[in-house]
Amino acid sequence: MNKAIINYITDELLNETLEDNLEVDDDLLGGGILDSMGMMKLILFIEKEFGVKVPPEDMIIENFMTVSHITTYLEKKIKLD
Amino acid sequence: MDFSWNEEQLEFKKRTIKFAQNELCSNVLNADKTSQFSTKDWKKCVAYGIQKMASIKPYGGAADKIDLLSATLAMEAMGYGCKDNGLPFALNAQMWTVQMPIVQFGSKLQKEKYLNGMATGKLIGCHGLTEENAGSDVFSMQTTATKVEGGYILNGKKCYITLGPIADIAVIFASTNPKVGKWGITGFIVEKGMKGFSQSSNKEKMGMRTVPFGDLMFDDCFVPDENLLGKEGAGWAITSHTLEYDRCCILASQLGAMERQLEESIAFVKKRKQFGKSIGEFQSVSNRIADMKLRLETSRLLLYQVAWLKNQDKPAMMEAALLKLQLSESFVTSSLDAMRNNGGRAYLSENEIERNLRDAVGSILYAGTSDIQRNIIANLLGL
Repeated sequence: MNKAIINYITDELLNETLEDNLEVDDDLLGGGILDSMGMMKLILFIEKEFGVKVPPEDMIIENFMTVSHITTYLEKKIKLD
Repeated sequence: MDFSWNEEQLEFKKRTIKFAQNELCSNVLNADKTSQFSTKDWKKCVAYGIQKMASIKPYGGAADKIDLLSATLAMEAMGYGCKDNGLPFALNAQMWTVQMPIVQFGSKLQKEKYLNGMATGKLIGCHGLTEENAGSDVFSMQTTATKVEGGYILNGKKCYITLGPIADIAVIFASTNPKVGKWGITGFIVEKGMKGFSQSSNKEKMGMRTVPFGDLMFDDCFVPDENLLGKEGAGWAITSHTLEYDRCCILASQLGAMERQLEESIAFVKKRKQFGKSIGEFQSVSNRIADMKLRLETSRLLLYQVAWLKNQDKPAMMEAALLKLQLSESFVTSSLDAMRNNGGRAYLSENEIERNLRDAVGSILYAGTSDIQRNIIANLLGL
C-alpha cells in the first residue's frame, strides 16, 4: 500500500523534484509536497486503487499528513468496510 | 448513458416554471434599479418547497437523501421562469453552501437548530469564505479562530458575501492552525446577534442587484464549541465537497436563463422587420442565434453530466470545471449576442435585455474564476 501511494505521488503529483526519495513519514501537507489539487487527485487514486470511498468528513490532516497516516487510515477503513 | 428526464420529472419542471412565471418577479425592473431583495418572493419559494430540496428528513427535507437531479431540474426551471436572475442565485447560495454543509457535516443539534429554520424560511443563511486578500487563493485567509474555554474567538473579515447583509446565520471559515495552512481551516456557524459579529449594509454592484452582497466582520467574536461545523481542520473538505454541488445548481439556473434569452431573441428577430424582411433572415443574425443554441446545448450536456455524476456520489472535478467555464462564459457571450440581435432597444434598461448581460458577468468571477477553471482543467490533464 505504502509503495503504491509513494509511486503515485512521486510520478504524478510532486510539485517539484525532491532532494531525497519520498519517505512514508514525510509531511505531505505542511511540507508543501501536495497542494489541494494534488490531494484531490490522490484521493481519487486511493478510491480507485484500493476500492474504498473516502467521505468528505475523513479528509482531514490526521488521515492524510503522511503516507504512513494514509495507510493507517486505509487499513482501518478497509477493516471496517 | 441516458440524460433524458422521465414524465414525472418533466411535469415537475413544467410546474416549477409556471410557479416562477406566475408567482415571482412581479417588479424586477424596479427591484434591480433599487437593489431590492424580495423577502416575499423568498417566502413564496419556501411555500413551493424550493429551499427544502437541500435538506433531509426529519430536518425539513422530503427524503433521507438530497435528490440532486430533481434539484438541478428545479433550479433550471427557476432560471427559465424567473426573470430575476438574482433570486435563483440567492436560493442556490443558501441551499448548497449553507444547508448542504450542515446536512453533511453538522451535528444533530445544528441540524435541528438550523436546517428546519432554513427549509421553512424562518432563517436565511450565508456562506463566508472569501476575504479581501484571499480570493482564488482562498486558503491563505487571515480570519483566525483561537481556542478558548468553551469555544473559539474569531477575528477577521469576509467579503463579497451573498445574502451577507440580511443573513440570520453564517457558515464561515477561519484558520485554527495557521502553521498547516489550508489544513488548519475550520468551519463555524455564527448567528446574527453574537457579540463581536457584525454585517455590512448592502453593496451596490454591476448585476444580480436583487441579491444583497456585503461583508461579515468578526471582532473578538465568541463562538461556542457547539457551533463548530465538522471537525477542526475540516474546512477544506467542507468547501471541496459543497463546491461541485453549488456549481451544478447555480449553473442550472443560468442554463434556464440562457434558454429564456434564446427564445426571446428568436421571437424578436422573427418579428422585427428591416429592409422588407425579418432580421432573422439575415445570415449575420441567424448565425448568432445558431451560436447561442450551440452554447446552450453544450452547456446543458455538461450540466447534466455533472448532476448525473454527483447524484451517484461520484467525483466530477474535471467535469465541474469544464461546466463552470463553459456555461459562465457562454452566458456572457450569448447575453452580448442577445444585445446585438435586439439592437438599440437592448441598451435601454426598460426593455429588460441588458440586465442579463450585467447579471452574467458575475458568473465568470464567483465560485472560481474562468482562469482558475482553466488551471484546474490543465492540471488534471497533467500540465
